[in-house]
Amino acid sequence: MAKTEIRVGGLGGQGVILCGSIIGKAAAIHGGKQATLIQAFGPEARGSACSAQVMVSDEVIGYPYVKHPDVLVLMSQDAFTRFIPQVGPGGLVLYESDLVNPEGKVPAGVRCVGVPATRFAEELGRRLVLNIVMVGFFAGVTGLVPIQAVEKAVLDSVPKGTEDLNMKALRKGYDYGRQQSALIC
Amino acid sequence: MALDSFPANLTLRDGTILAVTPLQPSDSGALLAFYRSLPEEDRLVLRDDVTTADWAEGFLRKVETKEIISLIAKSAGKVVGEATLYRQLHGWTRHVGEIRVTVAPAFRRKGLATALASGQVKIATDLGIEKIIVQVVDNQLAARRAFEKLGFHKDAILPHHVMDIAGKKRDLIVLANDVSQVWAAMETVNQDYAPHLS
Repeated sequence: MAKTEIRVGGLGGQGVILCGSIIGKAAAIHGGKQATLIQAFGPEARGSACSAQVMVSDEVIGYPYVKHPDVLVLMSQDAFTRFIPQVGPGGLVLYESDLVNPEGKVPAGVRCVGVPATRFAEELGRRLVLNIVMVGFFAGVTGLVPIQAVEKAVLDSVPKGTEDLNMKALRKGYDYGRQQSALIC
Repeated sequence: MALDSFPANLTLRDGTILAVTPLQPSDSGALLAFYRSLPEEDRLVLRDDVTTADWAEGFLRKVETKEIISLIAKSAGKVVGEATLYRQLHGWTRHVGEIRVTVAPAFRRKGLATALASGQVKIATDLGIEKIIVQVVDNQLAARRAFEKLGFHKDAILPHHVMDIAGKKRDLIVLANDVSQVWAAMETVNQDYAPHLS
């Protein structure tokens, strides 16, 4: 795949930007690819719409804006409603299954896979790591970036002292993603 | 690092490899033997009389109720170090944990105490404990330095609070590590607001 357009969407405070940043770092810094990140916020940090546009490519990226995402990573119903029309046939939608209900609204030819990331994060002890579960899920389903590269990007990105729990969250999402990937392919 | 990260092998600064595991009921005898083998001077700074079977029984009971989390380091089947995380499951200090670490004389200055304490800090953080304290006597400089490297800072001094084996009164220093800051930092990076990402 020469170029992959990714849109991460959710609410402020869910770690949407960090999720996009880690995917980009994994690809560009640890995965030998090119990547760009563009972040967009709502008027307030918490609770408002927030999204990140990530472009991953084998070649230099000349235009970093995501128009028709190949992969949508969604953590809120608002983000789903807003971004689902952009995804084209063959696209992939990865969504937080306790926060997003895609029923009846997914365009034809678009694959859709959910993960109870919030629940997984809570089971691990911190709801705060739901975005890292989503990163792992993304890595597991898409296989776009090797998990080792994603692990390094997570360790680069999270505060000292939180590494262990974040790595568990990543692995939880990744393993679940691998299982789901086997079902959809 | 939660309890499911154990058992784990720990390589000390001199290359010695130890097995670190959560304390099991079957370790009761080995734990008691470890504490009984400590010099009396060392045992004096411990809060309980750790040489009695009653103490070991009570200690294990608290391990079962999860009021205590104990990590032991073993060499050739013998306990050579132990770190305990004490916590209140109820009440107004339920967010606070206390760590105590004891290492056999032959295994000191090799990084064992720091490794055990570090493991307990991570376990406490994962358990949602927000503040960890440790008590050191004013002349335990190495222990104090080791904890300071783990993020502890002086929280209180109790003057002349302990008496050593020679009858000399010494200050007790309470070091604290506010690990809630660790997760506050995670919350900050998740804010989706900061215009500059590191």
